[in-house]
Amino acid sequence: MQNLPSLHRRHFLRSTTALIALPFLESLGFRRFASAAAPVAPPKRMVFLGVGWGVTEESWYPDIRTPGPNYALPAGLKPLERHRKDFSVVQGLWNKFSNEGHWGSTFWLTGANRYAQPGVSFSNSISVDQVAAEVLGKQTRFASLALNSAENGDASGHGPGLSMSWDIGGKPVAGLNGPLAAYHRLFAKDTTPIEQQKALLAQKRSVLDAVLEDARALKRGLGKRDNRKLDEYFQGIRDIETRLTKEEQWLGVLPPKAPLNEPQSVIAGYEETKLMYDIIFAAIQTDTCRVFTFRQPVSSLLTSLDIKVFPHDMSHYHTTRAEKLDASQRRDLAQSELFSRFLDKLKATREADGSRLFDHTAVAYGGNIRTGHELTNCPTILTGGGAGFKLGQNIVVPKNTPLCNAWLAMLHGVGIQAERHGDSTGPLREILA
Amino acid sequence: MRPPFFLHRHLLTWASIGLFLTLLNATTSASAATTTQTQARLSEKHRALLESHCTSCHGPAKQKGKFRVDDLPLSIATLEDAERWQKVLNQLNSGEMPPEGEKQPPRTLKADFLEELANVMVTARRNLSDQKGAITMRRLNRREYKNTLRDMLGVEINVSELPSDTGTGAFDTVGSNLFMSGNQFEQYQSLSREALSEAFDRVAAAGIEKKIRIEAEETFKAITKNIQELRDGAERAEQWAKAVEAAAARPENATVVAEIRKKSKDAADFRRSWKRIVGAPAPEEFGFKSVENNADKANGALTYKQNQGNGLYLRPALDYYLSLPHLDTGAYLSVAGGIHLNNSLLYYINPNWPPGEYMLRVRVGATSDAPRERRFLEFGIHPRSGRVMQTYEITGSIDAPQTLEIPFTLTRKHTSRDDRTVFIREKGTLDHFTQTRVVVNKGRAETGFGPKVALWIDWMEVERKTTAGAPLPPGLAALGIPFDDQAPEIAKPELRKALQRFALEAFRGTPPEEAYVDRLLGIYDARRKAGDKHSAALKETLSVILASPKFLYLAEPTPDDQRRPVTDAELAARLSYFLWSAPPDARLRALAARGELQKPAVLVAEMERLLADPRSEAFVRSFLYQWLGLDRLDFFEINRTLFPRFDDSTKLAARNEIYETFGYILHSNGSLRNLLKSDYAILNGVLALYYGIDGVRGEAFRKVPLPPNSPRGGLLGMAAIHLMGGNGEVTSPVNRGAWVLRKLLDDAPPPAPANVPQIARLAGKVLTTRERLMAHQEDPQCTSCHRKIDPIGFGLENFDAAGQWRTSDSYQLVNDKGVPDPKTKKTWQINPGAAFYKGPTFRDFFEMRNHLAARTDAFTRSFSKALIEYALGRPCGFSDEPLLNAMVQHAGTRNFAIREVFAALVVSNDFRTK
Repeated sequence: MQNLPSLHRRHFLRSTTALIALPFLESLGFRRFASAAAPVAPPKRMVFLGVGWGVTEESWYPDIRTPGPNYALPAGLKPLERHRKDFSVVQGLWNKFSNEGHWGSTFWLTGANRYAQPGVSFSNSISVDQVAAEVLGKQTRFASLALNSAENGDASGHGPGLSMSWDIGGKPVAGLNGPLAAYHRLFAKDTTPIEQQKALLAQKRSVLDAVLEDARALKRGLGKRDNRKLDEYFQGIRDIETRLTKEEQWLGVLPPKAPLNEPQSVIAGYEETKLMYDIIFAAIQTDTCRVFTFRQPVSSLLTSLDIKVFPHDMSHYHTTRAEKLDASQRRDLAQSELFSRFLDKLKATREADGSRLFDHTAVAYGGNIRTGHELTNCPTILTGGGAGFKLGQNIVVPKNTPLCNAWLAMLHGVGIQAERHGDSTGPLREILA
Repeated sequence: MRPPFFLHRHLLTWASIGLFLTLLNATTSASAATTTQTQARLSEKHRALLESHCTSCHGPAKQKGKFRVDDLPLSIATLEDAERWQKVLNQLNSGEMPPEGEKQPPRTLKADFLEELANVMVTARRNLSDQKGAITMRRLNRREYKNTLRDMLGVEINVSELPSDTGTGAFDTVGSNLFMSGNQFEQYQSLSREALSEAFDRVAAAGIEKKIRIEAEETFKAITKNIQELRDGAERAEQWAKAVEAAAARPENATVVAEIRKKSKDAADFRRSWKRIVGAPAPEEFGFKSVENNADKANGALTYKQNQGNGLYLRPALDYYLSLPHLDTGAYLSVAGGIHLNNSLLYYINPNWPPGEYMLRVRVGATSDAPRERRFLEFGIHPRSGRVMQTYEITGSIDAPQTLEIPFTLTRKHTSRDDRTVFIREKGTLDHFTQTRVVVNKGRAETGFGPKVALWIDWMEVERKTTAGAPLPPGLAALGIPFDDQAPEIAKPELRKALQRFALEAFRGTPPEEAYVDRLLGIYDARRKAGDKHSAALKETLSVILASPKFLYLAEPTPDDQRRPVTDAELAARLSYFLWSAPPDARLRALAARGELQKPAVLVAEMERLLADPRSEAFVRSFLYQWLGLDRLDFFEINRTLFPRFDDSTKLAARNEIYETFGYILHSNGSLRNLLKSDYAILNGVLALYYGIDGVRGEAFRKVPLPPNSPRGGLLGMAAIHLMGGNGEVTSPVNRGAWVLRKLLDDAPPPAPANVPQIARLAGKVLTTRERLMAHQEDPQCTSCHRKIDPIGFGLENFDAAGQWRTSDSYQLVNDKGVPDPKTKKTWQINPGAAFYKGPTFRDFFEMRNHLAARTDAFTRSFSKALIEYALGRPCGFSDEPLLNAMVQHAGTRNFAIREVFAALVVSNDFRTK
């Protein structure tokens, strides 16, 4: 845990134009921040990429009878051929509580039981990216980014949620819809006048001041033991202050110059996905954020590929096959291509110590739906060097292994010693080198 | 709804109060002598085993792995010693020590040692975590927070977004385990805002009355329209199919048609390639205009005319429905026919009708030939989630229908269409598609078209009831100023006083600091300056009070950390949060203010009053849920194909049986022995039907006498308890045995050890459950616990995984893909006979139950431990032994009457000491 509160928050009000630490990245030639003079290990990043309506079972998965490195790369993954040694497909995973055939993302990163709460028809729990953001998000302007395509998630088989991220209380984390919104959040100046932003922050602070007044009054009457309990309350308030401080701290600090142009407002499907990948890449490159989720478009992807099949219809190709199967397979190819291109970029960019961004990033690609309404053997690709994944393999784990075991291992891999996640029963060691 | 339980207000006489005074003294002197706590000590005899099998490698001469056992103290008094012994326990359990090839200790000796060490470790851990009576200040837990808002503002809000308070193994009242975070603070503020908005809205809309009646026959229009559409679609599809074939018959198409036919599996598949056939019309021209593949839509529609798909199943069901009488005056709840008919009846409540108390009335009757099990109607809100809220037994007929009155509440949060839609349906027909499939297939086998209809609805009526003239809830009354925006501007001093009064109410009588109120006024002003109207600014300001520490924490200030008697006000709060999970009411506060609550007689009388109040339901439910581990009821889905009778309504009733039975005993001050064995059960119609007990009609739970040979009565007669002791498919004698030891016999087995080698050699063998479990006896690591656990589980094997009585069981092998192999199926007669470890033998469940009932003292002890932890908000440690003994002994002299246990606790020193 980092001890920010020792800096009194009021200091930040006066230092809103302070320089903010940016890592040295040779490709951009950023100046190293003075206090970070000592060489530091490049930071870890995590990226979760959700594909919505699943994949084509017969042409996306490697044969489970050929586990290990010497498997035949299936047609749906052909665009990833050049990265073959740098990713693994994991088979046998699922979220045991999931039973919604149209919800490819809602529980993908949480493993929650929607009926876990009596009296409500839906509940969720924290998603793995938010667990990671708690630790990896401390140093950056944004603790995490939840990205969506501009289209509605339902049409693409993602299910309920404002993004793929769910906070610690199982509440949906609002996402940024489409490249334009994401670009603006990351790289554009806040259009609200700073004075107004400050007033808003001040209002939030006055609430904290009031409850602190009451807390201090209570504290005076308490003994040591109870005071330790009340400290949790103070800590909670301090956490909020830290967050407000972060907002304040970065208030008026110009965001890094965008390494890409502002996207056009009307862009959808294939090009949109490509741009979103570019934006994730740019955010990593400028160290603006280290934890990402991206809920990919499927409906508009098909449109952009000139496929007329209705996306839901496509995922039920089994009875008729024909053009639905074809659409499904072309979708796989397009998604694999875009993904492959993202990996190219991560590999091509170097950190200060000469290592690649790829080496410090952990990427999970897939979703909660296999195809149709099938929720077993969830499609899962793991890549990047950030979590110490075993790469280049067709990893077959026992049928119906909790997907959350993979998330737990991934957290451990980037150095976050979580005890459990969702319905995990233990970290999935098979995926680690 | 709950029947009113008859109340025995004054069962506790003055004579028994005298007893408490004695008891009080006993606990006072005893708690001073906490040094007498049970020692975590291994008996000397085990030294020999360590010396002969461990010391040569882990002794003075050698210390392999830097570990020696010769200097391990037999008494475990420090965390360090505990860790070292834990290591010994783990190594023995995992079978790693003594290493292979070394001399192994004799099996029985090792089992005995493991058993004792595991238990001593539990004792040691408990000693080391004993809070020695200290109670940590705690915040309101989720339930208490909700109830406190309810009592202040008169509204119930959904607090499920707050993090759950359980999961740490302790009760959700244990302060040391209740945490707080920044995120939570913001949730409190937003939930408070929500509650205030709801309360303000309720007051504003108090006088609004709304009512609408829907005649069920109106559904007939929709049904005939549905059927007409199906018929019409089939006609159009047929025309399209003919047109495609006509085009295909043209000579110029011959080549391409031959090619398509070769690749097509049938005529429908052939038509999917209509585009390639010159002159074939598009399905769109025949009215198929969806966004998906319209050739598929047309092919689907055509099946209604053919003897396949919809034509095979749907058509006969629709034809049957149309042939029924009384469709002009009402409608049936159908089972077959899906959404084309009335598999449920829905009513969407006008979004302009304000939040408040509602009533749904349903005029309903059963068909004359409907069997008993089909005369139940389910009610719920949110048809898509389909959760049953209540099940009603239908005693009316079509000629003489009955009118059900179903109360429900709509809040501001009920905004979505689903949340504003009430549904009724026949019990057990729409819980889950696998179950619907079973029910419909069964009906098809009998009639050809599916189950016959059973319930007929005349009309449904929805009414919003006025609450005009009802007194304002205490919080709003305390505020004492208008909170609507039409009111004239409120002067500063007046607003200040209003905030003070509201805070005083929220802080349960502790006045707020001046400086705090100043800050609140500042927030109100800032909001007004920022453009908020009065009500919005006020809401924002009040929400801060409801997220402040003095509201959120049940504080009992003690600056010097010295133990002291609680004040009257603190005692009132302890009592009401114990028995209501809610703040003290006016009467309790008045008694405290007059200094009378400390008098044992008054305290006990108040305890009785609080238990008799409906608010004590909060205690009954939350205490039992946590004590008995009822979360397990929702761990798995019952296999609906194996147990079709155990539908959602039955599960709901089975769950409620636990609460209702306990509630009955509590309210009638019955003996705790009745939870082990009783000659009655507390049942409603649904559950009595499930248990095969005649003469119980209706949804109310009531006392039903049982014949002497009935396995029902007491916790072990309850379906829900047995459901928890399995996985929804098969029983788990181990789970059941451990549960009985833990909850009923106060003899909890140590926690299951990690890394014990699994018994793999039995995989693929066809064995009875008992044969399989007997393998536990072979390994000392297993037998050290299982010799105690398993026999009890054997005694309960006559209850299947859904709690039904059975006399035989079976097993068959299942392959890697989950497919069972019926050729391997083995069926056997259940033998429930066994013996308690080092205890009496029993021939069957009934004998075992008698032995358990004879151990009511142990059960009372287990119950009292849980009650101490729940009521005092701290783990029950060894320093609580005197209190525990006093509670058990006192109740023991009164036939274990349940309220004697409560009374002994609330008058005890511990309950009245900070």
